[in-house]
Amino acid sequence: MSITEYNGGCVIGMAGKNCVAIACDKRYGAQYQTLATDKTKVYKMHDQLFIGLAGLATDQQTFYERLKFRLAMYSLREERLIKPASFGKMVSTLLYEKRFGPYFIEPVIAGLDKENKPYLFSSDFIGAPLLPDMDTNGFVVAGTCTEQLMGMCESMWRKDLEPEELFETVSQCLLAGQDRDCLSGWGAVVHIICPDRVITRTLRGRMD
Amino acid sequence: MGDSDYSFSLTTFSPSGKLVQIEYALNAVAAGSTSLGIKATNGVVVATEKKVSSPLVDESMVKKIAEIDNHIGMVYSGMGPDSRVLVAKARKIAQKYMLTYGEPIPTNQLVREIASVMQEFTQSGGVRPFGVSLLIIGSDDKGPMLYQVDPSGSYWPWKACAIGKNMVNAKTFLEKRYNDDIELEDAIHTAILTLKEGFEGQISENNIEIGIVNDQKKFRVLTAAEILDYLGEVE
Amino acid sequence: MEASLEIPKGGFSFDLCKRNAWLESQANYGSSSIIKKAKKTGTTIAGIIFKDGVVLGADTRATSGPIVADKNCEKIHYLAPNIFCCGAGTSADCENVTEMMASNLTLHRLNTGRECRVITAVTMLSQYLFRYQGYISAALVVGGVDSTGPSLYTIHPHGSVDQLPFVTMGSGSLAAMAVFEAGYQEGLERQPGIDLVRAAIQSGIDNDLGSGSNVDITVITPEGVQRFRNLDKAEPKYKSKNPLFYPKGTTKYYDEIISKVAIIEGDAMEQ
Repeated sequence: MSITEYNGGCVIGMAGKNCVAIACDKRYGAQYQTLATDKTKVYKMHDQLFIGLAGLATDQQTFYERLKFRLAMYSLREERLIKPASFGKMVSTLLYEKRFGPYFIEPVIAGLDKENKPYLFSSDFIGAPLLPDMDTNGFVVAGTCTEQLMGMCESMWRKDLEPEELFETVSQCLLAGQDRDCLSGWGAVVHIICPDRVITRTLRGRMD
Repeated sequence: MGDSDYSFSLTTFSPSGKLVQIEYALNAVAAGSTSLGIKATNGVVVATEKKVSSPLVDESMVKKIAEIDNHIGMVYSGMGPDSRVLVAKARKIAQKYMLTYGEPIPTNQLVREIASVMQEFTQSGGVRPFGVSLLIIGSDDKGPMLYQVDPSGSYWPWKACAIGKNMVNAKTFLEKRYNDDIELEDAIHTAILTLKEGFEGQISENNIEIGIVNDQKKFRVLTAAEILDYLGEVE
Repeated sequence: MEASLEIPKGGFSFDLCKRNAWLESQANYGSSSIIKKAKKTGTTIAGIIFKDGVVLGADTRATSGPIVADKNCEKIHYLAPNIFCCGAGTSADCENVTEMMASNLTLHRLNTGRECRVITAVTMLSQYLFRYQGYISAALVVGGVDSTGPSLYTIHPHGSVDQLPFVTMGSGSLAAMAVFEAGYQEGLERQPGIDLVRAAIQSGIDNDLGSGSNVDITVITPEGVQRFRNLDKAEPKYKSKNPLFYPKGTTKYYDEIISKVAIIEGDAMEQ
């Protein structure tokens, strides 16, 4: 088992029409033993920008603390909110800095930019950016069940999903994907980021 | 900076609370040839006199306005060699920002960074303040910007401003000429007229330099031929 | 002190190396499985010199192990207005090494007031890669036009450099090279040149599993650069005539929080 799979968990990001979703499972484990069932992996960076971190929990935590610091410094210095694209680049830079001694995490970023266009970003653990083509592949996945999630998204995602449609699509993709992964599960949390509000819903999933 | 017994800062307070080294640096600026800048609605312009010490100097190779990044330019009054250090630092700062955030550096951030470099040279050991004031122009999401940075590290955003030998007269002239909805072409004309006011000798396309940031957020230095055209227009 | 540590100073940080080595030494999660997840480009990249300039080509598949991570990534990177570079190997390395070089070449251009030469870019890249002894796994095809005319180079991850009229790299390099060996002639015209590179990349896409999807082409001549993104497109994926979708209310949720986004007039909300 790879160290990235030690704690388990998965994150998914999906684009809609003037909205974007990010969701994660809630399991926290040590190999095949489940330790907690309320470990969410998606964090709010500002009102319209969220990041999900899959992978080794200790690194998720450290990396998130460092990101919070860097972001606070950015906001104080520039007196503005960071653009999603700049934030993606920042995460990528931060990971590549540790190219030869990496954090074992895979980030997923979802945000809305000034024109309310969805922004999605994911990368491997050394910061190789993956910016999906929003017309054909408006989704990104990370964690212990990427294969399953990718398959679900390939068949279920389509362009210009409205917020409620996006919620159903992203939720079903995540639930179906994580049901075939023993390292993820125990429900899920979904955030739908819209221009005027963020809807956060907690889903029931299989508890095994 | 240095760590030896003698690497104390040369810039020390006088009993009256002044930092005379900084005032001397400002004197060096005031002795330098005039530079000015004007912010327009759709761009921003800087212009400067290119004074050479002897008619034998090849003016065409003297360059006072420097490109910092695609969207930012800089001109100085004061000591040329000092300005080149700052130009090199500014270019690096701009590139570093681009590598970290994948977005061109906002003008105010570049100005803040450069100002902090200049401030550091008023407090560090073994160094002296820079003998230049800078005019930095650029354009970003917030529109065109014009900043002045002094040897002390103070900086101000301006609508129009002048530094160097003829700054007092030039500023008075600009105050009369400036209006809030001036456009770039007019601003270039006004810049030339302001330079012309205090110019010693005959103004020509070879002894002034003009840099602009246009509505496409692109900085460039005008060619001698372009300046000649503008000179013809303001006649 | 803590805060100053957070200010990026450039360069790599090795402070997790010891910990990671320890993690890898633990029984159940061997080192190989950690490393294999890094995204690779797989890749067929190629370039030729034709009569007036250089043609560069690349496929658009990125892989993570056997999984296709990105079906349409860009592998032809900008270095300077007159120089471009195809990258194969670890995706993060290719991306970062080319971006850093583009930045250094911009500084070089500003400080010298001249257009960069291709050999300058190649020398700087090979010195950088050599310094890291092959650990930065980027295999590059650098092509461009400068005051000396068109030129084309390959750089291996260890820093060695080749200069040839037609080159290929990446896991599909053999497939692409077979096409070049059969079809390359000196003094090729523009269109036949582009077509030859297209065929070479297509051969990589068809015959090498690490390469796939679309063909990207960049043509560099003294007159300028033409970039063709997805010049040849792979067959679009199957679309069902009756698209699947979940009706509203499919997903049961037991908690909902709606946070209104504060709309503050003016600067505060500006990004």
